[in-house]
Amino acid sequence: MSAGVSLLKRAAVETNTLVQRLDGRVKFLFFIWATLLAYIFYDPVLNLIIIGFTLALAAYAKVLKPIALTLAIIIVPWILFAVPILSLPLGFPWNKTVIGYIEIFGRKYPVYLEGLGWGFTWPLRIAVSISTALLFFLTTNQAKLAATLVKMRLPFKAIYVVIAALQFIPLLAREAEVITQAQRARGLRTDVGILQRVRNYLAVVIPLTLTSLNKVQIRAIALESRGFSAPVRKTLVYETSFTRLDYVFLAGMAVATAFLAWVYVTYGYSPISHLPWVWAG
Amino acid sequence: MSAVIKVENLTYAYPTSRDFVLKNISFEVQRGEVLAVIGPNGAGKSTLLKSLNGLVPHFYGGRYGGRVIVAGHEVLKTPISTLSTKVGFVFQDPEDQISGLALTVWEEVAFGLMMLGYPREIIEERVREAIDYVGLKGLENRSPFELSGGEMQRLAIATVLAVKPEVIVMDEPTAQLDPLGKFEVLSVVRRLAEEGATIVIAEHEIEDVVYFADKMLLLDDGRAVAYGDAREVVAMVDELKSRGVDPPSVTELAHLLYRKLGVDASYPVTLEEAVEVFSRLLGG
Repeated sequence: MSAGVSLLKRAAVETNTLVQRLDGRVKFLFFIWATLLAYIFYDPVLNLIIIGFTLALAAYAKVLKPIALTLAIIIVPWILFAVPILSLPLGFPWNKTVIGYIEIFGRKYPVYLEGLGWGFTWPLRIAVSISTALLFFLTTNQAKLAATLVKMRLPFKAIYVVIAALQFIPLLAREAEVITQAQRARGLRTDVGILQRVRNYLAVVIPLTLTSLNKVQIRAIALESRGFSAPVRKTLVYETSFTRLDYVFLAGMAVATAFLAWVYVTYGYSPISHLPWVWAG
Repeated sequence: MSAVIKVENLTYAYPTSRDFVLKNISFEVQRGEVLAVIGPNGAGKSTLLKSLNGLVPHFYGGRYGGRVIVAGHEVLKTPISTLSTKVGFVFQDPEDQISGLALTVWEEVAFGLMMLGYPREIIEERVREAIDYVGLKGLENRSPFELSGGEMQRLAIATVLAVKPEVIVMDEPTAQLDPLGKFEVLSVVRRLAEEGATIVIAEHEIEDVVYFADKMLLLDDGRAVAYGDAREVVAMVDELKSRGVDPPSVTELAHLLYRKLGVDASYPVTLEEAVEVFSRLLGG
């Protein structure tokens, strides 16, 4: 199974911790809240605190591995790529404060605080969004999520599109893997230059698209055969309602919001790292 | 007995096909009967089955002639959603049947009932019954995608049974399975047949259905080339072979004995019958 599939594979449904028991709406709100915070503040340390808290929740909910792996695959290379480019003298207008020098091939180059801060903050903001979104996705039972969305008065077909998309990402990844293997077995080369590789991958993309379209049609047929379009009020087997746990979590978020508002007013947008503002930040 | 399915001169062409894929087909299925639809690839078996729950013509469109009446509803005039309570459809690939909304076996079986708006108490009762029936008890909380092929196909059958349809239609339900999975699924189908369910099953291999089929319909190139009592159709060895369908080995052996050696024995259709017939022949 490829990394893509194993990453997206849903956590064991039997797991039932406090995080799983939190209402889907609360976890979705946490994702939005944390993402907004990461963008309102300009502080990589604060981002790391949010990521740390999210990973702690993920570890408790037994979904740490897929989230940590996703961050390791996406965010770490991003930081390794962004930090040197942004913090070295490559002509970025916001780079003003030199914090040290680095020697590359015998020549000394200045390292700028503005670029360094931006190089860390930018990927970490994304990391906040990804980790909180995955926590929501991996710990929320989809049938319960559907019930939640129905309660939010969303049309049933729209709800199905959302839920089915989540379900079919791993299936699509698996299909892509099978097609890639089949094409490699028939001589598709991946050890070539990047342009040739992109061209070669058309041999995967075209059959994948056609297979997916076919699968969509088959799915539509199966759903029709099972009464999906029946003009009746759908029964939901799960009732969703806020419990004390949800109110406690929401109260925690409210207190944190009030505290962070005070921090923002008192210490500014970068309360821990004291980063100077860059135009893109 | 009363006819639950009545097909009269059914003719059909998909919007994209130039020729008709079903040509003037007529047959009846009585309540409690099992009809096996056999024929080579491309004979029109799947299309014929889809005409029973309204996917043909409502979903696909195309040119349609004749009449199909299922459980008192004329298919052409009845929406698929109404027919889905009368006709349960089991697909060839069990993964195709998975709703995409359910995370567990339990939820998957409940899906159809939820879509049809059944009360929660009935859903719970029926899901339990259906899961028990197909032998998936204990796997209720498992993800459908973690099941073996045979288990997944039995899950597909459970999703159909939960709705308690008047007719169960199965499109080569064992085609994608390994021998063990095939055995598991056929055991469930056989039990359903013995308990009086009305079943229409398309099969490529006669040997798999001959144990429980009451009637057979041999399709070739969209035409019904033979239709009648299952034993009579199976005994048409030359006809079957000329259409690319293998009769049961034991029936073919009896046929060859008759043709080559003039041994006149009744044609067995199952292994058990063959033991009896050939033992008698050999004086055992």
